[in-house]
Amino acid sequence: MMKKVLYLLGFVLLFAVQAFAQTRTITGRVTDAGDGTPLPGVSVSAGRGGAVTRTNAAGEYTLNVPGAVKSLNFSFVGYTSRTLEITSPKLNAELTSSQNQLNEVVVSGYSTTSKKDFTGSAVKVSAAQIANKPVQSFDQALAGQAAGVNIIQPNGVLNNPPVFRVRGFNSISLSSYPLIVVDGVPVFTGNTGNTSSVSSNSASNNPLGDINPNDIESIDILKDASSTAIYGSRAANGVVVITTKKGKQGKTRINYDGWVGITKAFNLPDLLDAEQYVTLKNEARVNANLAPAFALQKDASGNNIETDWFKVVYQTGISQNHNMNISGASESTSYFLSTGYSKQESFIKTNSFERKIFRGNVDHHLSKAVTVGTNFSYSNTLNIGPNSGSLLGQAYNTGGLARLPLVLFPNVSPYNADGSYNISGTGTLGQGANTVSNNYPNVVVLLDNDRFTSKNDNIIANVYGELEIVTGLRLKTQYSINKLNTANTSFQNPIAGDGQSNNGLALNTFEEYNRRDWTNTLNYIVALGKNHINALVGQEEYHTTNVGTGTERTNLADSYFKNYQGNFLNVRSTPATGNFNSENGFRSFFGTVTYDFDKKYLLSGTFRRDGFSGLSANNKYGNFGGASIGWNIAEEDFFKSSTLSTIFDDLKLKGSYGVVGNIGVSDYASLSLFNSGLYGGASTVYFNQAGNPNLKWETSKKTDAGISFSLFKGKIQADIDYYNNSINNLILNAPQSPSRGIPGDPANTIAANVGSMFNRGFEFSFTSRNITRSNFSWTTNFNISTLNNKVTGLAQGNSDIYGSTSGLETANITRVGHTLGSIFVVPTAGVNPANGQRIFVNRFGQQVQYNQAASQKWTYLDGTVAPAIDGTLDGTIAGKSIPTYFGGLNNTFTYKNFDMIVGITFSGGNKIYNGTQATLRDQRFWNNHTEILDRWTTPGQNTDIPRVVYGDNVSNGSAIPNSSNVQNGAYAKLKNVALGYKFPTELINSAGISSLRIYVQATNLAVVTGYKGSDPEVSSNGNSNLSPGVDRNTVPSARIFTFGLNVGF
Amino acid sequence: MITLKKYKHSINVALLASIMVFGNSCTKDLLDPTPTTSIIDNEAFATPARILSLVNGMYAGVKHGEFYGGRYLIYNEIRGEEFIVNKPNGVTGLDTWNQNVNSNTNEVVSLWSRSYAAINRVNVFLAGLNANSSKVDAATLNLYTGEAEFLRALSYFALVQTYAKPYTFDNGASLGVPLRLVSETTLTGEGTNDLARSTVAQVYAQIIKDLDDAEAKLPATPVTPVATVGAFRAFKNTAIALKTRVYLAQANYTQVLAESAKIVSATAPYQSPNGVNRLESSIATVFGGSYTGSATASETLLSLPFTTTDAPGTQNQLAFYYNNTPGNLEYYLNTAGILANPALSGATSTDARKGFIGSNATVSYLTKFKTASPFTDYIPVIRYAEVLLNAAEAYARTGDLANATALLYAVRRRSDAAYTFAAGDIGSQASLVNTILTERRIELLGEGFRAPDLKRTLQTLPSKVSPQSGTSPAVAPTAANYIWPISGPELQNNKLIVPNP
Repeated sequence: MMKKVLYLLGFVLLFAVQAFAQTRTITGRVTDAGDGTPLPGVSVSAGRGGAVTRTNAAGEYTLNVPGAVKSLNFSFVGYTSRTLEITSPKLNAELTSSQNQLNEVVVSGYSTTSKKDFTGSAVKVSAAQIANKPVQSFDQALAGQAAGVNIIQPNGVLNNPPVFRVRGFNSISLSSYPLIVVDGVPVFTGNTGNTSSVSSNSASNNPLGDINPNDIESIDILKDASSTAIYGSRAANGVVVITTKKGKQGKTRINYDGWVGITKAFNLPDLLDAEQYVTLKNEARVNANLAPAFALQKDASGNNIETDWFKVVYQTGISQNHNMNISGASESTSYFLSTGYSKQESFIKTNSFERKIFRGNVDHHLSKAVTVGTNFSYSNTLNIGPNSGSLLGQAYNTGGLARLPLVLFPNVSPYNADGSYNISGTGTLGQGANTVSNNYPNVVVLLDNDRFTSKNDNIIANVYGELEIVTGLRLKTQYSINKLNTANTSFQNPIAGDGQSNNGLALNTFEEYNRRDWTNTLNYIVALGKNHINALVGQEEYHTTNVGTGTERTNLADSYFKNYQGNFLNVRSTPATGNFNSENGFRSFFGTVTYDFDKKYLLSGTFRRDGFSGLSANNKYGNFGGASIGWNIAEEDFFKSSTLSTIFDDLKLKGSYGVVGNIGVSDYASLSLFNSGLYGGASTVYFNQAGNPNLKWETSKKTDAGISFSLFKGKIQADIDYYNNSINNLILNAPQSPSRGIPGDPANTIAANVGSMFNRGFEFSFTSRNITRSNFSWTTNFNISTLNNKVTGLAQGNSDIYGSTSGLETANITRVGHTLGSIFVVPTAGVNPANGQRIFVNRFGQQVQYNQAASQKWTYLDGTVAPAIDGTLDGTIAGKSIPTYFGGLNNTFTYKNFDMIVGITFSGGNKIYNGTQATLRDQRFWNNHTEILDRWTTPGQNTDIPRVVYGDNVSNGSAIPNSSNVQNGAYAKLKNVALGYKFPTELINSAGISSLRIYVQATNLAVVTGYKGSDPEVSSNGNSNLSPGVDRNTVPSARIFTFGLNVGF
Repeated sequence: MITLKKYKHSINVALLASIMVFGNSCTKDLLDPTPTTSIIDNEAFATPARILSLVNGMYAGVKHGEFYGGRYLIYNEIRGEEFIVNKPNGVTGLDTWNQNVNSNTNEVVSLWSRSYAAINRVNVFLAGLNANSSKVDAATLNLYTGEAEFLRALSYFALVQTYAKPYTFDNGASLGVPLRLVSETTLTGEGTNDLARSTVAQVYAQIIKDLDDAEAKLPATPVTPVATVGAFRAFKNTAIALKTRVYLAQANYTQVLAESAKIVSATAPYQSPNGVNRLESSIATVFGGSYTGSATASETLLSLPFTTTDAPGTQNQLAFYYNNTPGNLEYYLNTAGILANPALSGATSTDARKGFIGSNATVSYLTKFKTASPFTDYIPVIRYAEVLLNAAEAYARTGDLANATALLYAVRRRSDAAYTFAAGDIGSQASLVNTILTERRIELLGEGFRAPDLKRTLQTLPSKVSPQSGTSPAVAPTAANYIWPISGPELQNNKLIVPNP
């Protein structure tokens, strides 16, 4: 009673003091600095203990402040706080969406934690960091944005899934691709360990392209075990939790974002022109004791025929992208509706990407205790591609578009004088005046007639209900589906290319991936004095079915037909043509508790028990968990009273340890299976999979120690982490002696829990608000991560595992004591100045030279016969194929109404096997890089290009990969530069527009590297763990220029 | 009002809870789904019909495109001198033609792997059949066992001829290949991952052992009428015929004759005693694409079938390699090879086999395999003509020139009825042997005999020149690349394997 009286008294006094002081009224409007939309609910205060108000739905505020107050502070969750000097009674403020702020929340998928209390390791990427970028899927935009996250765009094929790694390669035989969760739904990211594409043909199809990057509010990338353990068996590769935008309180907002752009090929190699080609190849023929066979061909007007095949296959692509959303919220209901259309053309002819997307979500408070909501998205994505020869497994496709310009005659025209295709009887390029033929197809026939499409209809949706049983205790149930239907069609013409030997080939598959997920959680948040507890228990079940139906039709009945539905003579429908039907299920129980005492001492623990149908009968269930501790030193009294507190705003130490798993084995991985097929007209049954009755969970033990702090009132903010992922009981496709005859995919392997590996490194993330004046600001974000990957155990007495490129070239090896997928080649000792022959070093350290023209091709340097070089026996490790450091440097400037972003990504410590260089130096009829002009011609000449001998595919590395094609992969790339201008609100408000910004942007402007191929950011083998860092006959990257518009109403 | 609210609250809780319980109780098989497109191992031998399908599965294993279904035959041809590479493509045997393979070369790795995969299908089958012998009658048990043993012998013979020194080099004392004879299905099961190479002689002994047993168990006539599927499965004559080939490779001519006597009548017209096998009157009939013989007699002792639904894989098809439209003319005939023989290229030749030579403006090529895409020409594994030539050579080498000459004529005159060999060609033992060897080149061109014939007779693999790829050098029997290296993955995974020098 006494207390109440005292409060009352104090209140009255306060009121009285304020009433008597000299006050003035300040009004203004607070808007988002990015899109200019008004921000409702922003806290506006006149300093400590001063008056406080919040902005209304229109972002406007009115505040009475004493005359002594010189400035106002504006703060809002998710935005950087600002303090602005009161220069007039009208004070508008623009707030910038914040990144990596300690005061943010971390979304773990099942629950959220404020970043200040968070003791795990996670990084948040905000909408602003991925908005407006000319990408097909959001993951492409993550490059250089987050510490510990490495994104490698394999090449310029549209919607090609990037190599996406969180803290290294965490598996050998299974996928290393992270788990992607969208609004609580684990979504499909592809169906095999090596690729994240769901296409079964040459059109790349990343299902993450079915998510509109513009709909994403934030991306939380969970890295350590304590934050990912709630995902148990699927957490080893990190978890990417995507939260889509929701309506915010205030007036209805309408936003339009659009851009148009052009795309060009980046850094094409210089090839020999017709005259150089004829001269060089004839020289090679003479050196091979063959008659000259190449000659210039003249056209009707007597000029040399000269074809730049790059111009035939590449173009300037034009793209456009439009997004519109409407959102808003009242006290009880919030909604968000968006639609988007994207039509992008690649610099590769006939390669395009088209997406139509719709999203809507509603959250409604039925009563004070009950909330219901739904989130629904539908997208229709159409990928069209030529056979680019640049996707996983395609490097040697005869019709591969990337290689054709490198191997076609430059002295022959694609068309005859009468306009018909210049082709031989089998569709290969006509030979013109040359007397040898070219066994590659005339690429114009392929561009005109072949067509590959992969189309997705993707529904990601959930409904939920939440009930607050008593204050702080919430029961939630969520039912989610992801339904992905993929239709793949292909048509390959009967005239030339890969369809020629089939006399025309069409293969259509229809694939249905269905997942339902039911999650129930009970969450209790309570504060008992200085003790804060947040506890969650839950149960989840999900079920996935994968059904594919496919048929191949060959032998086109008539050249009139250009699609699958036209008439063909032969039909085939087997497992190889895309027929499958399988399912898998998960049943899980989990719980997590976070506790803190007085916001100083933080503890969390997570446990998950997962049952998975793909594992053996006795090992269906696995237990996973993690724990972490943290210490907010800045909250300690001793710290607050020390001088350090004048420097540090926040200072936190944290550590975590946990055990999580990796799954991604096929649906029936533990079973021994027989398949059925055909022997002529009879049916067959045959042994097809050697199962493992003991197959159990792969475990990844993750340790993390970190420190995060912010200095000088948020001017500098930094996170430093050390991580150690130790992976044991790897589910490895344990290689067996091929003589055992073990079938399967891959053949000669049995899945087993053997092998071990670790990924260790440091992550450093640093944000500095260098200048924060009202009309000029400069913010720098820098992040760098290191990665030390080492394989410490493998199967069968640590047998090496080879990584191959498209099944034909082995240039990678996984060997105990070395990095996963290291570059594996035969060492060379350059070119012998005496005779121009390539010198190899065999396993005994002896130098052996190669002469294609001699009857004894392999000799020691003294000319005596030597044993032939052997790729397996003489191969050695030439370096790591995985970057050991990578990161990004992003600078953001604003000057008055202008803004500029300069984004640089960098990576290094790795080697690249430049197999394309082997193609470019091959001495068959193939064209060569102009560097071949430096070939050896005279005794005593020092050069790294051997004497050219026609037919030689050994000296250059085509037949046996050698170290002359291994190059340093380090680079720094000017990945993204954008310049924007925001129209003054006074100017546009009268037109009913609340914000308007225009910008120009450029992607891949420049790269600084010692690498000699087109682009050191490359991966011919997609997301393969065993054969990374290979550049083999792939198209280059894209350079894109866009002009865009952001409008808010 | 307050109580109503509370009541409502309880309803909410109860409703939500019951949905959760109900929803999750109806999926008890969630963690134990059954495969629907593959058969679980314990059901594999469940019915007689399925066991028959397993038998077919063994043949399908041998028929893989990278083994007997195409490439094994092609490699044996292009290592010899009859063909010139036209498309210098690493994927279609360029390095093989160039005698330039190493342990990592695709051909070396794939053929090894596919041969042993076929062998393991046999071993898995034999183990399963043994465990389920009650499911079939005794005759069927014998039939299936014999077929399995025959296929294992055929596969080992291919391996030992490719990856090991010829038996005749040192009477089989060299290292052969690992002999896998037990079912390999598990990580730590019956077999062991590391297994040393047996000697060439030991491998041959195993082949003969399998074939002897197969001969004893297989029925005298094909299990079903020849005109349907009989030519696609082995019977007694097939096992015997293969033995004539194996003994010939060992230069064991007495045994060649002992075996051939079982299936070749003593006098013309030559046929097997039960009348099942004999030469077709026209060889063109045999290479029509889908030859199986007639209901009563057949020249083929084993062919591997293809259909449009069971088509050979890309770049494995015989017609794709040898022929031109249909076909990709990967390899054409060497003018310095057997093409130079008057029978095939003489202007006045009336030999029917000249009909298998096609030509365009610049080159001649083999048209024996001719079916259009998807290239369903059956693979001839053993033909009666080969058996006659095996016997002829054995007679000639053992001094019975009369019988040798008669058998030689049987083959020659089937295609060129009026032909008479010059005395100098058949007059002496040496010339007769030579003529028979030449006849093999004419008769069996493209069927995968050239490299094995060169090797068993310890001849140098001849040099040849391609305008597209330069010179492929001659390879002496003592050279390391006379045989293929052991597959790279085998060298890496099998700790007991010894590489070829």
